[in-house]
Amino acid sequence: MKHEHGYWRSLEQLSGSSHESVDEFAAGVAEPPQRVSRREMLSLLGASMSFAGLVACRKPAEAIVPFVQAPENVIPGVPKYYATNMPFGLDAYGLLVESHEGRPTKIEGNRLHPSTHGASNSWIQASILDLYDPDRSQTVRHLGQTGDWQAFVTAWTEMESEYLASGGSGLALLGESFASPTLARLGQAFSARFPHAIRATYEPVGDDTSFAGMELAAGEPYRVMLRLENAEVVLSLDSDFLGVEADAVRNTRGFAAARDPERGSMNRLWVVESNYSLTGANADHRLRLAAADVPAFVSMLTAELRKRAGDLTLPAASSRPLPQVDARWLAALVDDLTHHRGRSLIVAGRRQPAAVHAAVYALNRALGNVGASVSYYEPLDAALPRGLEPLVRAMRDGQVSTLVILGCDPVSNAPADLAFGEAMEQVPVTVHLSSYLDATSVKASWHLNRAHYLESWGDVRAVDGTLGVTQPLIAPLFDGKSPVDVLGLLATGTDAPAYERVRETWKTFLDDGSFEKEWRRVLHDGLLDGSAVVAASPALTIDRVSDALNDAIAVPSDGYEVVFQASPALFDGRFANNGWLQEVPDALTKLSWDNPALISPHAADALGISNGEMVKITVGQNTIALPVWIMPGLAERSIVLYLGHRPAGGVGRIASRSGFDVYPLRTTRAMGHAGGATLEATGTNYALATTQEHGTMNEPNLAPWQKGKPERARDLVRQGTFEQFRRDPEFARRELAFPERSLWQERRFEQSPQWGMTIDLNACVGCNACVVACQSENNIPIVGKQQVGEGREMHWLRVDRYFTGAADDAAVVFQAVPCMQCENAPCEQVCPVGATVHDEQGLNAMVYNRCIGTRYCSNNCPYKVRRFNYFNFTKDTPESLALAYNPDVTVRSRGVMEKCTYCVQRINEGLIEAKLSGRPLSDGEIRTACQQACPATAIEFGDIRDDSSRVSRSKLNPRNYVLLEELFTKPRTTFLAKLRNPHPELAQADLDPTPSEGHH
Amino acid sequence: MPRASWPAMAMVLLALVATGCVRGCNSSRPPIHLNPNMDNQPRYDPQQASDFFYDGKGMRAPVEGTVARGELQQDRPFHTGTDSAGNFLTEIPPLTPAQLARGPERYAIYCEPCHDPRGLGQGILYEYGGVPTASFHDEQRSAYPPGRLFDVITNGSGLMQGYRYPIPPADRWAIVAHVQQLQRARQDRAHATSAPPEGTR
Repeated sequence: MKHEHGYWRSLEQLSGSSHESVDEFAAGVAEPPQRVSRREMLSLLGASMSFAGLVACRKPAEAIVPFVQAPENVIPGVPKYYATNMPFGLDAYGLLVESHEGRPTKIEGNRLHPSTHGASNSWIQASILDLYDPDRSQTVRHLGQTGDWQAFVTAWTEMESEYLASGGSGLALLGESFASPTLARLGQAFSARFPHAIRATYEPVGDDTSFAGMELAAGEPYRVMLRLENAEVVLSLDSDFLGVEADAVRNTRGFAAARDPERGSMNRLWVVESNYSLTGANADHRLRLAAADVPAFVSMLTAELRKRAGDLTLPAASSRPLPQVDARWLAALVDDLTHHRGRSLIVAGRRQPAAVHAAVYALNRALGNVGASVSYYEPLDAALPRGLEPLVRAMRDGQVSTLVILGCDPVSNAPADLAFGEAMEQVPVTVHLSSYLDATSVKASWHLNRAHYLESWGDVRAVDGTLGVTQPLIAPLFDGKSPVDVLGLLATGTDAPAYERVRETWKTFLDDGSFEKEWRRVLHDGLLDGSAVVAASPALTIDRVSDALNDAIAVPSDGYEVVFQASPALFDGRFANNGWLQEVPDALTKLSWDNPALISPHAADALGISNGEMVKITVGQNTIALPVWIMPGLAERSIVLYLGHRPAGGVGRIASRSGFDVYPLRTTRAMGHAGGATLEATGTNYALATTQEHGTMNEPNLAPWQKGKPERARDLVRQGTFEQFRRDPEFARRELAFPERSLWQERRFEQSPQWGMTIDLNACVGCNACVVACQSENNIPIVGKQQVGEGREMHWLRVDRYFTGAADDAAVVFQAVPCMQCENAPCEQVCPVGATVHDEQGLNAMVYNRCIGTRYCSNNCPYKVRRFNYFNFTKDTPESLALAYNPDVTVRSRGVMEKCTYCVQRINEGLIEAKLSGRPLSDGEIRTACQQACPATAIEFGDIRDDSSRVSRSKLNPRNYVLLEELFTKPRTTFLAKLRNPHPELAQADLDPTPSEGHH
Repeated sequence: MPRASWPAMAMVLLALVATGCVRGCNSSRPPIHLNPNMDNQPRYDPQQASDFFYDGKGMRAPVEGTVARGELQQDRPFHTGTDSAGNFLTEIPPLTPAQLARGPERYAIYCEPCHDPRGLGQGILYEYGGVPTASFHDEQRSAYPPGRLFDVITNGSGLMQGYRYPIPPADRWAIVAHVQQLQRARQDRAHATSAPPEGTR
């Protein structure tokens, strides 16, 4: 896509410094990595060929190993599904996990559960890989020696008597955030048993500031639940509620529901942010503002609101006017907010101080949004993040003789100024429950290997109070223990199975008489129906909010501002050893495997640095070195650092391959952002792997007879405004540049079903859930950073990110591109061995064992959706990771082309099932992995011959368009054009993809 | 024969000679497989062996106490043969005539080879191997409550394997009903005449 049309993929393309089109196969791409030439390779192969080699090529002898005592209802080859719940900090995700012969292989959302409604995100999808991670800690360790759980139980029983006598003085317990009735009950039992013990909870990325804000304004730390489906106008203040913030799956679902133009109205999203978040990418109006300036913005907003609507109870704060905030912009925003009382919503991000959260609560309350678009809940059975600082002080003072840490890795991710590692050395006995032998575990005297949530019993409470049980899918692979096991031992002194502990807790929720019946129902459904609680109605002390807001307004500081952002892939670092998440290209930067410092084009100009240059970033006394990446649309003086990479943390082989640890820059007083940072170029370079120019769809030169046709016919991404859509619903349609006729004899598809798909660009938020879901479903390998850099990433489904507008203030559009399943497939016509052919259901099928690897098909694919196995990426799969493979999908070897097949294994499973039960296939029964995972329900899939199917109706949508239609490939996958909904007063050019004056 | 196929035939001949084996020669080794072709998959197929697990099985039993979708089974007595206190049921749960009709049929498939059509424990296995098989008509077993019979079918007893996997619960109850019918018939006959009629054992 050329930038003359207003869309560009990279800054190089915008400035014209990159070659016109990036070839899919770069020069030398077929050579082996050591640069052995093809000729040498052949001679090497020849030398090693002998008859002896041939004789060794025998079929492996395989044993059939059936169950000795076959369990009821397990039919080998037929998957079963279990409802369970994934605890994620204070969040809980209701899941449905696919199990093949007792091995979990794929995770989906639980349709019954309010936290997911059947959808998921990339973390949920990828968490299955963590279960089978061969780098997980596999044993208990005591003072560096291998131990076992029983030894710890004995050791604790000895220690315990001393603490029982002293009421627990000298004992300390540090844990992760949770919302779990069993853990809460055991925590209370622990405190009752050891009343003098210190307890603390720490989350590197949590809702600390939100709780502090609610405490400030309402006196109680309420949890916030967004009801985006009820919000017509949304203002995000540095909040990535569609990406890394709490409950993003439900938020995305609600946001997409309120954004559906077919309803007749569409929400409008205003975003004020320093970094470029997923939420910012979906904004209708986006204001770039340093994170430190947000409190001042809030005070400007309240002043303007007061002017417009004097009847509102608003916090009062005075601030200097920010030069970045255009008066017209602010007026339009306030106009929107005041005209949508009860249907608007303001959201504050985790990075923002308590004062902003308090003020946002006051504003939502004043605008009548509380109870409508936002609800507040008492945190039930929850451990809120607090108490780390007093704990570390006590540790330093020698008041702690035994410290038990359940999860988290405070040595590497606690604020740097606390020097947790040093303080830990003052504690004689430390116990750490952890999945990896990480920095904290290495320092601890006892390391207990942790069980994955798919291996352990537990329970959760969602934000609205909905109760659910975490039921295990498999017995612990490495005999790990869960927090319930360890806390249970500490709190009761006995080592009982977690199953019994959870059931004991649930005796309070279920009737005595019918406990077994109801318990089975809870496990079966994944939640206790009707356990949601009534939302709280918090009070408000407006003066305290005003005071706090006044205090929070920052004096302008020199230098750059460092903004800490939870990694959209690795979150706080818990997924650092997850290959799927490491490799999935970031939604905005399209970088994989690394976390360079993101700087604005303005800062890059000022400092004279370019992509990949190493810099030293200093904040206070702390310095880290890492490369930079220039990200369009950042606030000018903000440097965005992604948390979560732990190359030196001892976490595992994947984590140690790349990335930079930015936790050393984070201090107690600057957990979200830090001012006064300095940048110093070091003059060295670092190789970064980005996919932003991979899969560039070429625009062929216009043939003579096509000259003079509408140029816009070739637009890959089509977007317009809601206003435009209302005037002309068919705005996305283009006149074809030449008559509809194929060069080939066209095949007729007359048998039902005929599969087709639509992808709604307006609903898609770009979150990557589909990419990881596809990877999980289809056994797609990871290839490593170097191979990604050479354009060999294997993701069958890629999400293209296009910028529009100027580099400083670029807007973003996402486009998910799987195989289009063309009816006139260009790939099929060039395959010399018939390895890619059409089936009678309209699928462009791939016959792996026919493929000889010519790559002609990929070369001829205009959509660039075919992936080639340059190496045997799956050859050295560790035994435990092989357990994660989907048994229904072939694992591909070297030299084979592969691509999206609309999840043909799911199609066949559905067809067989319908046939066996003697009924016709119903619409929506077969869902592709990407469709099922999508939290925005952007993907529809089904039979296009059935006029009543959802996909057929979706294809009748006036926004429906065909990608590269003029090639007449007749793809089965089509797109629905994207809409923006700018405020009528501000309907400016930055959303309009027409050529802007600046480029040529 | 077209000339072009001569090289191909030569190749085939060469391959036969090289592998040292043509049809008919015996070998205990697995067959030759020149083109691996992704035939041997690194994934785990059903009933595949695994070096990862201590018991060598790739298939894992579901964790005890878990409930899969579609297996709600809230009616525990029906699925276990015991009531909530753990006592065997003394009544067969209500079954439809169609379900009951499957009893003799399922009995013939799964039980008859050992227990014989009359339930005397003198089936094929006893005749050929002398394997001691229980009779339903001895004093001890004729007093079994239905729940106990169900439990034996489900979990096995002595040498007998549990049949929970191949026989669904409703069919198990139907078999129990059939076994009880056999027992009653035997008792009725014993009451009617002290000597068995001719032709029966």
